Amino acid sequence: MIDLGVSLYSYGGDFLVTMTLEDCLADVADMGATGVEILADTHVAGYPNPTSAWVDEWHALVARHRLTPTCYSSWLDTRLRKGRTLTVDEAVPILVRDLELAHRLGFTIVRPKLGVVSLDLVPDPVWRETVERALPKAEQYGIRIAPEIHAPTALRSKIVDDYLDLARQTSHFGLLIDTGIFQNAERGGTHSDSRFVFGDPDPELAARVAREMSKPMNEDPALLADLVPYVVHVHAKFWEMTDDLDDPHVPYDAIVNVLVESGYRGSLSSEYEGARDLYRASDQVRRQHVMLRRLLAAHAALTPAS
Amino acid sequence: MLEAHVIQTKGFKNVDGGFQVAVRCPYYRGIWASLLEGAALTVDGQTFAGEDVRWTLGDSSYTAEALADAVDDRWAFEEPAILTAAKPGGLEPGLHDVEVAITWRWSYIPVEMQPTTSISRRKVVLVS
Repeated sequence: MIDLGVSLYSYGGDFLVTMTLEDCLADVADMGATGVEILADTHVAGYPNPTSAWVDEWHALVARHRLTPTCYSSWLDTRLRKGRTLTVDEAVPILVRDLELAHRLGFTIVRPKLGVVSLDLVPDPVWRETVERALPKAEQYGIRIAPEIHAPTALRSKIVDDYLDLARQTSHFGLLIDTGIFQNAERGGTHSDSRFVFGDPDPELAARVAREMSKPMNEDPALLADLVPYVVHVHAKFWEMTDDLDDPHVPYDAIVNVLVESGYRGSLSSEYEGARDLYRASDQVRRQHVMLRRLLAAHAALTPAS
Repeated sequence: MLEAHVIQTKGFKNVDGGFQVAVRCPYYRGIWASLLEGAALTVDGQTFAGEDVRWTLGDSSYTAEALADAVDDRWAFEEPAILTAAKPGGLEPGLHDVEVAITWRWSYIPVEMQPTTSISRRKVVLVS
């Protein structure tokens, strides 16, 4: 069975502008979703040391709105120190700190976004020993650690193979799939008050990376079938839902089919990444949930709300 | 609560030896202070950068250079940073064209494309 959730990332433009944390949680509950995902560095006031009053309030809000905390998304900032990358000894306490806070807040999945060491986004090699040394804590808390497979990383790649090598050895490590890898149609750019300049690369490299980052990856959802036993969470990425309640960029019919038929048990956690106009996210996520409910209903695979 | 724009209306004012502007985190998450490499403030065409811009994050205040060692402090997502520029006499009251460029390192972007600079611009009113 699959449950529907929402990553509060979706409310990016509205959070703390038109919506408080409680407004976001109330919105998730109002659309009938059951799972809630947060970005630790964004949604936890005072991260990584929230007050006990904040933690108590979090639990009260989650209970009031009958939500289940799913994934706690965090970062392993391997470039934290200027001029060099973190050692394993420095990285382990960061991951352990996030496991502890995730557990305190009731989450059962932790996604550490890993620093990279190459143009094709190979993670910093410290990841493996860092995760292995944090695993006892994950086991103690019943948490699964899951790095994110995100465009432009392919499902059939050394990056994924290396993760699978560890996932086969422990049930406390698995994969988080971002469905943006299945994007099969061109999309528009993102919108922001700010313009971002990424380094000072030669123009040819800048153009190549820009192309790589926005082009449809066109991964075949069927490739998920063999991976599903190791998939612990899914980001249901989208940029726009039409008035016909279809996603013009991501083939959710095929994605839901393979997840259900391969026995995926977990969340589809909406990750709206389209235009950040105020008040837009609530409407867009609801549209996506209508579509996802329709697709899941065809398989009788939607977990009923409690 | 915050204004949607990176450059906040509240907090733009003259102080002893210069002026300050409140800037909300331009990223979608808070930023560890040591990841910050500095800020450039351009007001009506005049730029203040490097050590001429002082950072206040919560209760702590840093020069641009000192940020590199602040591995345990953060620019919280929920709390604007106060950038203080050195300008004896401050700014004239009235409307100013303010541009803020913030530079910091992202760990999950190839190093060839780093650091990242976000550039925000807005007309903001200064009362005094």
